[in-house]
Amino acid sequence: MSHSSAPCDSSASMPGMVACAARHVARVAGVRRMAADTWCAAIDAPDLASKITPGQFFMIRPAEGTDPLLGRPFALYDTLSDSNGNPTGVEFGFVKVGKLTSIMSDWRPGDRVSIWGPLGNGFPLPDCQHLICVAGGIGQTPFLGVIREALGQRSYGQPARQVPRKPESVTLCYGVRSEKWLAGLDDFALPGLDVRLATDDGSRGHHGYVTDLLRLQLQQNRPDTHVYCCGPEPMMAAVAKVCREAKVACWLSLETPMACGFGACFSCVTKVVEPDGSWDYRRTCVEGPVFAADRLLFHESV
Amino acid sequence: MPDLAVKLNRLSLQNPILVASGTFGYAREMAAFVDFRAIGGIIPKTVTPAPRPGNPPPRTVETASGMLNSIGLDNDGFDQFMTDKLPYLISLGTSIIVNIAAKTNDEFRRMAERLNDAEGVAAVELNISCPNVSGGVDFGTDPSLAATVVGTVREVCRLPVIAKLTPNVTSVVPIARAVADAGCDAVSLVNTFQGMAINWKKQRPVLGNILGGLSGPAIKPLALRIVWQVAQQVQVPIIGVGGIQSIDDVMEFLIAGASAVQIGTANFYNPGIAGQLVSELEAALQLLNADSVTSIVGSLRTGS
Ligand SMILES: Cc1cc2nc3c(=O)[nH]c(=O)nc-3n(C[C@H](O)[C@H](O)[C@H](O)COP(=O)(O)OP(=O)(O)OC[C@H]3O[C@@H](n4cnc5c(N)ncnc54)[C@H](O)[C@@H]3O)c2cc1C
Ligand SMILES: Cc1cc2nc3c(=O)[nH]c(=O)nc-3n(C[C@H](O)[C@H](O)[C@H](O)COP(=O)(O)O)c2cc1C
Ligand code: FES
Repeated sequence: MSHSSAPCDSSASMPGMVACAARHVARVAGVRRMAADTWCAAIDAPDLASKITPGQFFMIRPAEGTDPLLGRPFALYDTLSDSNGNPTGVEFGFVKVGKLTSIMSDWRPGDRVSIWGPLGNGFPLPDCQHLICVAGGIGQTPFLGVIREALGQRSYGQPARQVPRKPESVTLCYGVRSEKWLAGLDDFALPGLDVRLATDDGSRGHHGYVTDLLRLQLQQNRPDTHVYCCGPEPMMAAVAKVCREAKVACWLSLETPMACGFGACFSCVTKVVEPDGSWDYRRTCVEGPVFAADRLLFHESV
Repeated sequence: MPDLAVKLNRLSLQNPILVASGTFGYAREMAAFVDFRAIGGIIPKTVTPAPRPGNPPPRTVETASGMLNSIGLDNDGFDQFMTDKLPYLISLGTSIIVNIAAKTNDEFRRMAERLNDAEGVAAVELNISCPNVSGGVDFGTDPSLAATVVGTVREVCRLPVIAKLTPNVTSVVPIARAVADAGCDAVSLVNTFQGMAINWKKQRPVLGNILGGLSGPAIKPLALRIVWQVAQQVQVPIIGVGGIQSIDDVMEFLIAGASAVQIGTANFYNPGIAGQLVSELEAALQLLNADSVTSIVGSLRTGS
């Protein structure tokens, strides 16, 4: 599609406008195991790789067939490049939970997939002294890109984005149920990144919740700290509460089920607070998936 | 080169490939994927007199080769539509068919009146068939109520009128006949089939609204059957809708008796599909040695 080759301001994924997305029939480059029930898939998709930024996502489905029918959203884990530094593809991490993820865990190199993106707003470009990323389970996947960009180790988007202010410290607080679900620790072994682990059963790192790790971090009372969070909804609600109490700015990336990913179906809605205090259902795929925590009304049961 | 243009009474379209209401947003969402000028027309999401928040999530769930939805006509209301959405739509260089729904005749009348003055709108489609909202009159399941709405809108509005009908009735034929007699230019067949999904482990419905409407490839044979039945018995141009995702599907609907088709759910999982189908139409017509779309409409041969 001719539109897709236009220069892409990746911050322009504004509500109701997927600025620079395109659909491609692409090939699987490989699938590697990351942890129990967890894989990382690489897709050859140079156009997508050159445009996408951390916290954005794409939709993916098999190139043929009607079951599964709809695309499924996956966050960018990282972009892949050739030896000249030109983007060649995207990687994403996933947990096997249902129909498509079961098929994906059996993908072979060369399998054809349909993929469209980049979609969503992504995390804001880091603009703080201290950045803390809080990940629960597979919610860690958006943070490899966020952190590499924050540390100035990689750039994303077209034209390539620049971090306005390199944070003095970048911390990843990462919690899972048990050690066997810890994924991608090698990828996160980055110079300048402080990784803190928690497991519910104490099999590795702190014995308890990732919110405990966050509380410890925030007790240092460092000014100009921002928190980015992605994980299961109850965990994100807890993180939002900790940040609110500590008066620290916090952004959450929601994992609302989606049918299209680009704003056409109105299925991915979440309650967003308006300036006057009322709420409205807003589409997570185009207004999110990343929201400032104080704009969200979590599900009543949380 | 075959002639792709079609005429449905007062509505002329450059080709028969439309996109269905509620599956194409307000078109802005699709700008990166679709060359709007290529397609026959756009039917934006249903607009109601007042803003509606829509139903609580989850609003969709995938089923075997289909999906259930219970969006509940989430929209910002007619005024906002006219000022914020319509100017963009009519700038796109294709036919814009505004889809409206309301709870009373009067509300239908007032919206239709205001559409009269809207420059650049090609037609109005009356959504008297949404399975996801209650509280109003169920216009779509009663032939005389359906006819009254069409009559009301025709009285006050110069635009061609399309009635979009529900399949959730014993037979669509009497309703199609009633709206045709009341003067509608075409009928859209069909809206979604009411269905449900259950999470048995939680012993709860999957959708926040409990019930939803089924769409996608799973309903294609059902929609095709209804198009054929109505084409046999009622003199009214038909726009076929339901599970269309390939040029073969398009051709089947045309041959069954539809003068045009709408692409719905397929826009979600193949966002460039509508434009692609337009480009494939010529070759398909040539396979039948047809020199126009019109010449194959309702050309199904039955018997020996
Ligand atoms: C922006 C975004 C980014 C994401 N990034 C990642 C990622 O990087 N890695 C990752 O592993 N996952 C990610 N997810 C979640 C991922 O999309 C799902 O795990 C995936 O869709 C599962 O597909 P499936 O076909 O395997 O499962 P399905 O067969 O669709 O079912 C999966 C589970 O979800 C339930 N379910 C399905 N549809 C609905 C619905 N409409 N409402 C409520 N429950 C439903 C099912 O009952 C089942 O338990 C992301 C989601 C979003 C919104
Ligand atoms: C998510 C979703 C939302 C819909 N919203 C509307 C709507 O607002 N108004 C309407 O007339 N039809 C609506 N429909 C029905 C479609 O326009 C179409 O009639 C139906 O989905 C069958 O076609 P399909 O199988 O190609 O999707 C909606 C369908 C879906 C899947
Ligand atoms: S997933 Fe379709 S509107 Fe968000």
